[in-house]
Amino acid sequence: MTRYVLRRVALAIPTLFLVSIIVFAMMRLMPGDVVTRMVEGHAYAPTLAALRHDLGLDRPVHVQYLDWIGGIVLRGDFGNSYWTRQPILEEFVRRFPVTLELAGLTILISVVMGIAIGIVSAVRQDTASDYVGRVLAILALSVPYFGLAVLVVVLPSIYFKWTPVWTYVAFTADPLANLKIMIVPALVFGVTRAGPIMRIMRGALLDVLRQEYIRTAWSKGLSERTIVLRHALKNALIPVVSLVGLQTPLYLGGSVIIEAIFRLPGVGLFFFEALTKLDYPVVQSVNLIIAAMVVGLNLLIDLSYAYLDPRIRY
Amino acid sequence: MPIWTRASDTRLGGGLRPPSDTSPQESIARALPALESRPGTRAWYVDVWVQLLRKKPLGTLGGAIVLVMLAAAVLADWITPYGFSQTSLRERFIAVSPAHWLGTDQLGRDLLTRLVFGARISLYVGFGAVALGSVLATATGVLSAYFGGRLDLLLQRGVDAWMAFPPLLLLMTILSLLGPSVFNITTVLGVAFGIQNSRVIRGVALSIKEHTFVESARALGAGHVRTALGHILPNVLPTIIVVATTGLSTVILTEASLSFLGLGVPPPYPTWGGMLSLAGLDHMYQAPWLAIWPAVALSLAVFGFNMLGDALRDLLDPRLKGG
Repeated sequence: MTRYVLRRVALAIPTLFLVSIIVFAMMRLMPGDVVTRMVEGHAYAPTLAALRHDLGLDRPVHVQYLDWIGGIVLRGDFGNSYWTRQPILEEFVRRFPVTLELAGLTILISVVMGIAIGIVSAVRQDTASDYVGRVLAILALSVPYFGLAVLVVVLPSIYFKWTPVWTYVAFTADPLANLKIMIVPALVFGVTRAGPIMRIMRGALLDVLRQEYIRTAWSKGLSERTIVLRHALKNALIPVVSLVGLQTPLYLGGSVIIEAIFRLPGVGLFFFEALTKLDYPVVQSVNLIIAAMVVGLNLLIDLSYAYLDPRIRY
Repeated sequence: MPIWTRASDTRLGGGLRPPSDTSPQESIARALPALESRPGTRAWYVDVWVQLLRKKPLGTLGGAIVLVMLAAAVLADWITPYGFSQTSLRERFIAVSPAHWLGTDQLGRDLLTRLVFGARISLYVGFGAVALGSVLATATGVLSAYFGGRLDLLLQRGVDAWMAFPPLLLLMTILSLLGPSVFNITTVLGVAFGIQNSRVIRGVALSIKEHTFVESARALGAGHVRTALGHILPNVLPTIIVVATTGLSTVILTEASLSFLGLGVPPPYPTWGGMLSLAGLDHMYQAPWLAIWPAVALSLAVFGFNMLGDALRDLLDPRLKGG
């Protein structure tokens, strides 16, 4: 187990190194000049050359890269924003709880809904409740979450005079007010993501329910509840866990749009604003941090298989 | 049994016929057309559609929606009474009227016309990106699987690094730097699609490579190029079709979310994502149909491609089910 974890961490290092080169190269090779915009639009410095020197952009490219990556590896310094000159890591840490809460609630909602409907659909295969469940899943798959989000923002305010809460309150300041704000975006996002989970859950459970050990459990005289929830469910959860794991990058990416629509001050909005202002260091570092999280998460998911299926050992 | 193994089995059978005075390759070539024109058997690519109509009602519905979308996109110039950017200040914010079936927006532009032209962008980007991506995925996947070794290792680490990014963040980064245009978004989505799916193609190519008919082809003296293109590629083809059709809805949805963020096709050309976007939010409070119809169009399109893709996957490659 320890050896496996160490090996995976060792494998992650070259991957993340490559990621850092990709983001860095992208920001340098492609057209779009932040310096011109900062000087001409906002008078950050008297001349282009002066600002370029200030930001260290007049140095050779490999020096800039080494400076950036060296700061991260040696000092945990992810650089400063061009526009605000504030440390990126600080801003990221301040905003991350919002995104984490949104992603957590979304995953919770989609997993609970997906698994519950999936179980009912599988156990009552080919009955009315199965069909209702499957139609719901197809609907959830088809409706784009940002379309649903726009409708949820617009329609109730016209017809019921209800609007989502626009001013953000931190969870630590007032948990109840915070949940009231977060629940709507999380529901919108979670509902649309529950579709694939439900389908996988249903398929996996149907597979498991046809296996021999389930027949044994029936002949022992166990109740349906025990068989499904204690014997079948855990085995059927493996594909569900890998799906949720594979989808997590989608939750993080989608949070950009959800945060923009519901005006939540999370990492997604931070990234989006930096992108529109061509704030290279922010875009680079946020990409890298999130990529590192995705890599770490994949490891956690692989480790969780060992819990779900004791035959799997690392 | 997967459909394509039939083709490979007959090919192998052709090669194992009693010796004759012609070379093995020639006898295979002669045996093949004879077998394929046997009465009562259809080529798999015809058979799939027959099976779809017979056994997959939802898939057929999806196919019909896709066909309607295609027709709308191709015929947009002829079937729409207005131009997509034709404004009429006297007819702003009409909800429903005989002249404007789905209403008009803040500039008096006909919503139905804009939706029909929007279908053009969705399909153009969707098909363009998937075509480009499929070629890319097949090339890298088959190469990586066939030659293995260092090339495989190198390519796969690159794919690893790419997959570590949340897709939307990476696409947003690239597009905001390249600037919005139909060409840029198609290329970028195509490359992303290709890299992501090269894994799937590689997996299938790896397993096909181990079949005996590949070995026999090599034994008969076929070179690397001939083996890869003539023997492995045709057998990967059904998987490519599955990957492409199921991928279409994802690509269309991604294009819409990028347009939603203002990183897609620039205005005034209408896109479904752009029509939904936050820029028009203030007008939507006044005219909710501006939000409803694009969302409905997008959902229908995604539904259609999803159902068609699922049905084709079940028919062509049951192993990928639920993947």
